[in-house]
Amino acid sequence: MYSGVLSTVPPTTATWDFLFNWYLIFGVSAAVVIISMLMYVALRYRAKGKGAPSQYKPTGWKVILAIVIIMGVVLAGAGYQTFAAFTNIDIPNTPGAVTVKVTGFQWAWNFTYPNGQYAIDNLTVPVDKVVILNVTSKDVYHTFGIAMLDVKEDAIPGHVNQLWFNMTQTGVYADAIRCYQLCGIGHAFMVANLIVISQSAWNATFGMQKG
Amino acid sequence: MGLLYFFSSLYFGVVGAILALLLRVQLSVPNNDFLQAAYYNQAVTMHGLIMIFWFLSPLGIALFNYLVPLQIGAKDLAFPRLNALTFWLFLAGGLMAVLSFFVPGGAAAAGWTSYEPLAGPVFSPGPGPTLTYLGLMMMAASVTVGSVNFIATILWLRKPGMKLLQMPMFTWFALFTVVAMLFAFPSIIAAFLLVLSDRLLGTVLYAPPSVLGVPGIDPSLLWDDLFWFFGHPEVYIVLLPAFGVIADLTPAFTGRPLAGKNWILLSTAVIVLPISFGVWMHHMFLTGIPSLLQEVFDASTEVISIPFGIIVIMFILSMVRGRVQFKTPFLFVIGALVLFIIGGIMGVFLSSPVLDRVFYGSYFVVSHFHYVMVGATIFGLFAGIYYWLPRMTGKMFSEKLGRLHFILSFVGFNILYAPMMLMSDMPRRIFTYQSIGDWAQLNGIATIGAFIFAGAQIVIAYNLLHTWFRGTPSGPNPWSSEDLEWSSPAEGATPAVHVESEPAGGWIGQLSSAASVSPATGGGESYSAGVAGHEVHLSSRPLTLSVGVMLFLTGAALYPGILPMGLMLLGVVIVGYSMVGWAWDDIRDRFTGPPEMEGGDRWPFDAVSKIKLGMWVFLSSEMVLFGTLLGAYVFIREAALQWPAAGSVHDIPLATANTLVLVTSGFTMVMAIYAIRKGDMRGLLAWLAATFVLGSVFIGVKMSEWAGLVSGPTPFVPGSTNAVTAIAASVYYVIVGLHGAHVVAGLIILVYLMKKTTKGGYTKERHEAIENFALYWAFVEIVWCFVFPLFYLL
Repeated sequence: MYSGVLSTVPPTTATWDFLFNWYLIFGVSAAVVIISMLMYVALRYRAKGKGAPSQYKPTGWKVILAIVIIMGVVLAGAGYQTFAAFTNIDIPNTPGAVTVKVTGFQWAWNFTYPNGQYAIDNLTVPVDKVVILNVTSKDVYHTFGIAMLDVKEDAIPGHVNQLWFNMTQTGVYADAIRCYQLCGIGHAFMVANLIVISQSAWNATFGMQKG
Repeated sequence: MGLLYFFSSLYFGVVGAILALLLRVQLSVPNNDFLQAAYYNQAVTMHGLIMIFWFLSPLGIALFNYLVPLQIGAKDLAFPRLNALTFWLFLAGGLMAVLSFFVPGGAAAAGWTSYEPLAGPVFSPGPGPTLTYLGLMMMAASVTVGSVNFIATILWLRKPGMKLLQMPMFTWFALFTVVAMLFAFPSIIAAFLLVLSDRLLGTVLYAPPSVLGVPGIDPSLLWDDLFWFFGHPEVYIVLLPAFGVIADLTPAFTGRPLAGKNWILLSTAVIVLPISFGVWMHHMFLTGIPSLLQEVFDASTEVISIPFGIIVIMFILSMVRGRVQFKTPFLFVIGALVLFIIGGIMGVFLSSPVLDRVFYGSYFVVSHFHYVMVGATIFGLFAGIYYWLPRMTGKMFSEKLGRLHFILSFVGFNILYAPMMLMSDMPRRIFTYQSIGDWAQLNGIATIGAFIFAGAQIVIAYNLLHTWFRGTPSGPNPWSSEDLEWSSPAEGATPAVHVESEPAGGWIGQLSSAASVSPATGGGESYSAGVAGHEVHLSSRPLTLSVGVMLFLTGAALYPGILPMGLMLLGVVIVGYSMVGWAWDDIRDRFTGPPEMEGGDRWPFDAVSKIKLGMWVFLSSEMVLFGTLLGAYVFIREAALQWPAAGSVHDIPLATANTLVLVTSGFTMVMAIYAIRKGDMRGLLAWLAATFVLGSVFIGVKMSEWAGLVSGPTPFVPGSTNAVTAIAASVYYVIVGLHGAHVVAGLIILVYLMKKTTKGGYTKERHEAIENFALYWAFVEIVWCFVFPLFYLL
């Protein structure tokens, strides 16, 4: 929804897009190849007149082996690329990262900042900084997701799940945050805004007070 | 029986389809107010539950019922009355689910996945969800009994000379399906048992931390694990019958044998167990499980696509150098394969935990599973319906209408689900949305596709009805197939081949007049001669038993009140009457099941009797049930940071003594077997009575033990004000209680055994029931040997 709005691509989005394109190329190719093969075979060997079928060859183990090897290689490649992209999931150890607590509840998001201040349905973060969100729920199972940043984690009562991102452009991104788990009648309205401001402005308003 | 299942599943399919159309109307435009949120949530939940449990699987089961006996040359399933029971349980459960719409508060609305704690009594109060879930339990019971039946049938009732590897492919896939059901369904039974215990008995097994206040408890993950351990194998359970159809049909339309038949069988056997049971956490990537676990389940999910790839390619190769005929059944086979390829590849995208960070909970997932569960499965089952219609009716359907149905369905299906691939930022299960990006257009297109797809089904409905009443005769084997089901005459075949395929008065009349009919041949025979491939039910017990259970559970869901109490009471009476009646029928040997064939092929169970095989299969399922429950106990206990210390709650010496009582009763049961093997009737009766007494003592002591636990200044009850006590008590009573119920069931059966012994029902040669009961009793004891240390000593 916000694709194309950002002039600089956030790291999580870049990683995800690269991975997705990889899967897409192989996935679409596989579909095209196999479906074409199916159509070709079906048409090539369609019944014409009353002739007897020509002699077919029994399927040997070599065909099976070929399938296993080809699929294995492609899938292994995909898996490898996914593992390499786990940087999106694993929380980086960046010094100076900003941490915000996110608590989902029926039916809104509470964002609590380092200085104790909180906001409902508005997440304000500094630009160009690693932001770590500690996500949990006050009541039922929700799921916190920011589609434009390709990050999402479950908000589970009794758990704290972490996600991270780094927003590279300031702005107000309305409805960028949504709930992705059915959580009752207000599920459709659990929507929040992402607001990205300068680091100094953010520190002034939400940062930990020093001294 | 197959026809009963068939028409019932079609009814539920229509209900599910109407719910889906309601959803699509609501979502066709932004900010719509056609369905409010509460109703939308019910519709989406029940659409999923009804389609999966009461339409797709039963449609497959209908085909199993109809075709498996025909394909292996058996006259009926191994346990015909149990088969009737599975149908009535399925129907009763479905009726309860539909009924739940009409009780105060409406039906379940937490999604078919029923995540906790949303689906519990705190966040989804009211009788509706309870009724829905109880109906689901009846379906699960039906499936368990049914899988025992089919496994015993396929392994034991094949005609002489039909070795396992010579069975038709459809029967093989039936076997795979029911084996998977046997091991998967206990997990969902355990999962929902705990939910229903919370909803009906006030336990706190899935209590949210916000309510219970005990740090560490984890209802959401507990549910996730229990549900998805079942849930993933379940989707293959839904799919496999369709693959069985494809495997069976393809040779008839390609004029050559299936390519790599044994490779297909091997691939499926490797998918069914163990891999399908080893991928479930790919539904849980975002729950906070460690990265390593996510990578492991990514790998296992990718691995499972390899056997599927083999199977699909084998199906394609089955056309090479053949003579492919594009008749309606085969059109649907091709359609099913194309849709499966698309949906299956989408599954590979979802196997990546990183990609899943976008796709989770979005319409991409909705698209994926509809491609495989509706596209592949339904198109495959349609192929089967068309293919076997001549066998079922003796008439041929209109090929033109069949092609029209295919084209409309295929086009409508893709218009409905393809746009959803582009909607990976739109959350699932939202009842409305603002106008954002292209959501409005994509949703609109999808809704149009939904109506085309739904409308297409009118074509097949018309085709089926028209064929039934006015179709042209098809001849005995219109597809020139070599499978066994075509060698016996079709139902309603031309008079030249006279087959009593439907009993006088139709099968409905047969069922209702059951109890009063005494078989013409007296005593043991339960089949009139000449009935080909169509069983005759002469017992009303399965029907009344199911009705009784349904009344009881419906009353329980609606409790409190006068009407609910009345329903529960009536239900208990009818259940009691049915069970006593069933037992009396057995004492008088009224039903003996299908005749056993001399020299029938039974490898590898040549030496095991049919009933004993059934008992072992049933006990395997019970093992998984108790295993899952004990696993849940370990999970809960691990999560909770505090637990009552060992010995602080229970009277260990008393419980130990009680354990010895139970173990001794196992010894007396063994003595009973020795007695009857020597032909000693009185000894048998004496040892059975001793077992009964010891078992009753066990229960009696347990009841006094419980009386002590619930009384006193700090009662050990789920409602305790001490939250830790509440959880510990909850899990204790549910599991120990379930074991106790198994003991009580055993005692009731013992009464029946003793009664039958006094009537001379057992001989030195024929005393299977005694040996099988001993098996069951031993199992109950062994379970106690796990339960006792886990709950009392640790």
